[in-house]
Amino acid sequence: MATPASPASTIFRRPRQTSGWMSWITTVDHKKIGIMYGYSAFIFFILGGLEALILRLQLAGPDGTVLDAAEYNAMFTMHGTTMVFLFVMPVGAAFFNYLLPLMIGARDVAFPRMNALSFWIFIFGGIFLYSSFLFGTTGPPSGGNLPGGATDASWLGSTINGGWFMYQPNAGPRFSTGTVLDYGAIGLQILGLASLISAVNFIATILNMRAKGMKLLRMPVFIWMTLVVAFLLLFSLPIIAVALFMVTFDRQLGTLFFDTFQGGDAVLWQHLFWLFGHPEVYILILPAMGIVSETLPVFSRKPLFGYPAVVFAGAAIGFLGFGVWAHHMFSSGITPVAQAAFGLATMTIAVPTGIKIFNWLGTMWMGKIKFTTPMLFSLGFVALFVIGGLSGVTHSIVPADWQQTDTYYIVAHFHYVLFGGAIFGIFAGLYYWFPKLTGRMMSEKLGKLHFWLMFIGMNLTFGPMHWLGLQGMVRRTWKYPAEYNFGTWNMVVTVGAFIIASSILVFMLNWTKSKRRGVEAGMDPWDARTIEWSIPNPTPEWNFGVNPDVHSLDDWWHRKYDEDEDGRPVRRPDADSTIAQFHDQGVNPPAPIHLPTPSYFPFFAGASFLAVGYGVIYHTRGWGLPLLIFGVVLLLSSLIGWSLEPLEEEHEEVHA
Amino acid sequence: MAGAQTKAHPSPKQYVQIAVLLAVLTAVEVALYYIEEAGVSEIVVYPTLIILAILKFVIVVAFYMHTRYEKGIISRFFTVGFVGALMLYTVVLGTFGVLSAIGG
Amino acid sequence: MSDVAHEEHVHESTGVETRKLAMWVFLSSEFMFFGALITNYLLFKGRVGYTAPYPAEIFDIPFTSVSSFVLLMSSLTMVLADHAIHRDDQRSTRTWLIATALLGMVFLAGQAYEFTTFVVDEGMKISTNPAASAFFTLTGFHGTHVLVGVIMLLTLVGISFRKGRLSTATGLNLENVALYWHFVDIIWIVIFTVVYLIK
Repeated sequence: MATPASPASTIFRRPRQTSGWMSWITTVDHKKIGIMYGYSAFIFFILGGLEALILRLQLAGPDGTVLDAAEYNAMFTMHGTTMVFLFVMPVGAAFFNYLLPLMIGARDVAFPRMNALSFWIFIFGGIFLYSSFLFGTTGPPSGGNLPGGATDASWLGSTINGGWFMYQPNAGPRFSTGTVLDYGAIGLQILGLASLISAVNFIATILNMRAKGMKLLRMPVFIWMTLVVAFLLLFSLPIIAVALFMVTFDRQLGTLFFDTFQGGDAVLWQHLFWLFGHPEVYILILPAMGIVSETLPVFSRKPLFGYPAVVFAGAAIGFLGFGVWAHHMFSSGITPVAQAAFGLATMTIAVPTGIKIFNWLGTMWMGKIKFTTPMLFSLGFVALFVIGGLSGVTHSIVPADWQQTDTYYIVAHFHYVLFGGAIFGIFAGLYYWFPKLTGRMMSEKLGKLHFWLMFIGMNLTFGPMHWLGLQGMVRRTWKYPAEYNFGTWNMVVTVGAFIIASSILVFMLNWTKSKRRGVEAGMDPWDARTIEWSIPNPTPEWNFGVNPDVHSLDDWWHRKYDEDEDGRPVRRPDADSTIAQFHDQGVNPPAPIHLPTPSYFPFFAGASFLAVGYGVIYHTRGWGLPLLIFGVVLLLSSLIGWSLEPLEEEHEEVHA
Repeated sequence: MAGAQTKAHPSPKQYVQIAVLLAVLTAVEVALYYIEEAGVSEIVVYPTLIILAILKFVIVVAFYMHTRYEKGIISRFFTVGFVGALMLYTVVLGTFGVLSAIGG
Repeated sequence: MSDVAHEEHVHESTGVETRKLAMWVFLSSEFMFFGALITNYLLFKGRVGYTAPYPAEIFDIPFTSVSSFVLLMSSLTMVLADHAIHRDDQRSTRTWLIATALLGMVFLAGQAYEFTTFVVDEGMKISTNPAASAFFTLTGFHGTHVLVGVIMLLTLVGISFRKGRLSTATGLNLENVALYWHFVDIIWIVIFTVVYLIK
């Protein structure tokens, strides 16, 4: 038991638990935080998927009766919001959190308590958002069409319903009374803060905490993508923060930013939203591109083709991503000059993306391909992302986009890049790094079943949307009449969606079974290239027993393999003893290791946002303002207590 | 920590001199405002005001925020953030026709 | 205690201390935040034909000039505090910190007074017209940033009394609070020129 430092140093005793739920609440260990992000994100994935299935039941045939219009609006809004903000972004955070220190040779991130804070803000933000189902009201709709003349939607419809993009003034106070959109605006604001804090943390970590010899151009591509994503978050989140403040003020304080009747500007919202929204979609895809850049070389037993080009292309995509936002606004009345400029800019983004695709192909060319589950998902990623990218490029042709926009053709595009792209990449990563988490391998049989079900289901679901859209099926509309003849393909789409759902069940079965009874992985089960595989599985608490000394890109690979004259890998005679040596020093660190001490403050600071959120929405009620003040006070005192608390208690040591 | 800074800092006296300079620049700005009210053309006054603001801005950043004495990466973060914001929002205002309105 | 630098695993690949690096990273994102707010104001200030009065009509330039001067001088006291702590002169550090916080509070009082005259005397509320909405939101957020700065300064003063000394190694560290404070000042330099002086 460690001796705490001088008694005046902290107000409360530092938490000391190493197991049990308290250890999770107070943890500052990046691995545990990553795991919490991962499981939470997955729960939201299920919720978002259920929302999708309900939508598909409604649209399976013409004149659907499963949902009414208000419920439909709520379901498609929550599906999008959940998948973007509560699944893909947090699961990205899960990967970044778990892997970043491991891949650069560090013990933790630069600011471990801030890291925990990001998680707690995220989870409380997500809970706040979803509590709109319970507490949110939609109020009388303006010119509404609720069945039976109802003035408030059913519980299924009483949640955020303005689309994930909350276009103004529709989602403003004049046309959306009730509280659900306040939950939306404030909830997103809270979530954005979590990501911003993470971004600062990861940038500081990547720039400053790399192991000896880990120069920037020796970092794994996944870490480069983490860095680009962090910068995208850093510069795009403040913009949406301002926009969300503006809409919250419109709704709560009577400001007139978006009230077109009194001089406000509806298009301004679109600019501000998409200035964030476009970098956001690169935030969603770049982590998966990073994952695939790790798995393809390992399972082709070849180095990544053109590493500098892939890195540069990733940075270029990030940079250019800030210059194309108005391609979401081609039909909103911006000038022809603006449309041409943004159309051109959008076309240029295809170039660095293409560079990556060709480099991935080049990696696999003449490689010794191993068709493991992670490899299947990586290959699926490349194929499906190309399809999604091609439809994306067709949007960049402005007159064509006038036809495509607001139809299912667009829905097809972004689901191919987000599902076929981001989600396939995520699953590749989950299967690939599962051994690091658990020390076991996932079942290959179940994995392959998962892949094929998901691949078939995904194409059945989103493929037909291309021609449905071009035939004129409009987005965000709760039903379609029989005369349009959309029914057959919509039924195919719905069947596809349920096939996807079944594949997820297979995955969940695989995960739970393999965690307990999967084949033991041992050290370096994939014969991989990067240094996170140079430590035992599951990852020890201290990560590296000895701080790594990096000599090259793919340092771990070069410790095991040399190259012959043809450039083919030749296993070094001392490879096995190297592996054994790294295993031993990973399990038995030779010197005492200081780890950051757990802390209560991130949890309480995160929880305070719940009080602030509810306080803002209900500030006109008697208890609202006191709750708001309580939230602010709790936040401030948590932060001040935190600033008085040292990062590490003296004499806190961890031994094997 | 202190070790990161390798060049000598200004002395307190120099800091005060910089503050005096900043105060003078502010006084000039205010004077310009009244000069413009008195009828001098905006084309003369507004660019000058902007230049003065930039000057004050750069002085605070370089000397008070120490960027002049820090490693280059700090200035790069600052410049990227600032220039990026400037460019992005100029484009936004441009799409609203605000820039042509200001120029006109 | 917390001053014990755990040298073995605190190395800085860039050569810049990690917390300072993080503060600069954060400040570079704040440009986007204030940029959006300033852009809003520039967009809406030209929209007349709605309920009067508009911000540009009712500014009190002499008053705001004095406020701006106060904030500028607070940057001086801030940098003097920073200088003092690098010399380990605890007394001067505390004095200059308190001076900075006081000047910050004077600025905030000035803002509060200005807002009150706008609302009560001139009849321009945040909901009067979009230009007013944009003006109050921009300057309100700036003021909130100043307030947060003042709270951080007073926390530093509190720490200096409680622990007897501030050092450059503690978590909430003076150097980074100083960076934040100067940043808030330079944003005001931009706001004063672009919003108040240029009509």
